[in-house]
Amino acid sequence: MTWRPTTLNLSLATLLGWALLLGVLGGRAELIVAAVPLVVALAAGRRPRPAAADWQVARHVSRDRLVEGERVTVTVTLRASGRREVVELYQPLPPHVRLAEGRHHAFVVAGEHREVRWSFELSCAGRQRLRLGDLHLRRWEPLGLAAAESVDHAISDVSVYPHVTPLRRPPSPARTQTYVGHHVSPAQGEGIEPGDIRPFVPGDQVRHVNWRATLRLGALHVTQHHRERNADVVLLLDTLADVGPPGDSAVDRAVRGAASLAAAYLARKDRVGLIEYGGILRQVRPAAGRAHWERLLDTLARASVVFTYVARDLERIPPRVLPPQALVIALSPLLDGRFLGAATDLAARGFDLLLVAVSPIAAARALAGGGAVTDLAARLWALERRAELDQLRARGLTIIDWDGVEPLEAALAVWQRPRQRRVRA
Amino acid sequence: MTAALAATALMALLAGVGPALSPWPGVSALGLIAFLVGGAGTLARIVPLATAGGALALIGYALALGAEQPASHPLAGVAIGAGLVLLLVLTHLAARTGGAAFEPAAARLLLWSWAPVLAVGVLAASALVIAGALVAAALRGASLPAVVAIATLGAVVAAAGVTALVTAAGRPAP
Repeated sequence: MTWRPTTLNLSLATLLGWALLLGVLGGRAELIVAAVPLVVALAAGRRPRPAAADWQVARHVSRDRLVEGERVTVTVTLRASGRREVVELYQPLPPHVRLAEGRHHAFVVAGEHREVRWSFELSCAGRQRLRLGDLHLRRWEPLGLAAAESVDHAISDVSVYPHVTPLRRPPSPARTQTYVGHHVSPAQGEGIEPGDIRPFVPGDQVRHVNWRATLRLGALHVTQHHRERNADVVLLLDTLADVGPPGDSAVDRAVRGAASLAAAYLARKDRVGLIEYGGILRQVRPAAGRAHWERLLDTLARASVVFTYVARDLERIPPRVLPPQALVIALSPLLDGRFLGAATDLAARGFDLLLVAVSPIAAARALAGGGAVTDLAARLWALERRAELDQLRARGLTIIDWDGVEPLEAALAVWQRPRQRRVRA
Repeated sequence: MTAALAATALMALLAGVGPALSPWPGVSALGLIAFLVGGAGTLARIVPLATAGGALALIGYALALGAEQPASHPLAGVAIGAGLVLLLVLTHLAARTGGAAFEPAAARLLLWSWAPVLAVGVLAASALVIAGALVAAALRGASLPAVVAIATLGAVVAAAGVTALVTAAGRPAP
């Protein structure tokens, strides 16, 4: 720590100069005498200060993972071996983080091996990778005439995950995979979902005999069943463009929807993958399980708009990330035509594509504020958007319109895939 | 906020010293301006403004002394000097602690640290008064130019000492 004089020295010197000048010019002893306390104060600021004490600073963050809107408590512990003195502590806050309780700037008394604890609570408005960086510590000369500053370079990372809304009935996929899951497969086999009835053949199990049909038809008949299988679901998130206030923009709402869908499918033993389609093409290959859920949340927490002129080609994404049999759910505010082109291309290549159009209008209005002109513009935008979605539906795309405010389940409820039953002989 | 209010009250006292000594309108106007400028500085926690207010109050006091030519009161000078130091220190404290959590123990420790400095200042001023009285007695028969020369020499030495003190170290901290 290096001691440096502060600007207070200049202020004291200014008044000292005035007192001496006026005293000499006016020939008054009072003004000369008035300069003496100023000289003493300046001299006190220059006296030798104790060497740097043995400082121990530790910062503890109560949680390293939280959901947006939740709070995290930051506790700073300070211990010093020197004499007691006033110490200033300052923790700069990252963007989009607000102070929920306490202060992130404090003056405490440290020294004589006394342990000082200082804590405050932070609230994170939106999903992000929160990084608490340098902690500034400043020792002050008692009058404020000199200060010595040091920085603790410890870094604390906190992942702020998007809010997840439970979905009871996520969109069912058209095609299923080979592992056991919750989706009724068109293929016959072992399962609990009844299918067609056919005559008994040697080898059929007695417990599959349909006695009612047997009595009516006069011959043994068995009930066939559909297999319950899992599915591959790939979430395609559009991060080419965004609009809205930080923490509640159109992309933020799309990310919340993606997290809710991922949670619902993973709970059904499906494999879920993620492609962030934006300036940076991030990919998470489909998998299942708790660890994969954390991986998806980490990727979603980092999803952000990175400006680019390049239109990414989804053909370059390997099949292990975008399996041909997967249900692709694209979430987009439809602000950039390049994403629409990519989604249309996927549908044309035979992918089972469902486009969730997250309306950016509410987010844009939240940013623009109220007013008659804003209302008119929002209504015109809504009309244009509706016409655009109708055109896309006419092209054969399956589109669910979601305003990002109402529960995603309510938006998904209006669309149900016709049940596919096919029993192979 | 307490430090800012205390500094404002102190600024009002310092600005009122000149008008209290002399009824001349110029001194009163200067006192009012000093209070407005210095009060704005203390309330807004801007040290240069408070410094300007203190300097204006000092000028007003000097004008009042020049206009009224009262008997010499060194104790008043000591009080004004200590008041100016406290004004700047309180304003600076208010500026650097604005919006921060401030432990009561820290406030107590600061007050305990300031007390010896102020005490030394008062003692030094008293010593100067006594020394001045002795020098005055010694120079009773001296001619006026010699007295002015000795006073100027003293002021120059003091100014040089302060300049050396202030400019000895590196650049000021923010």
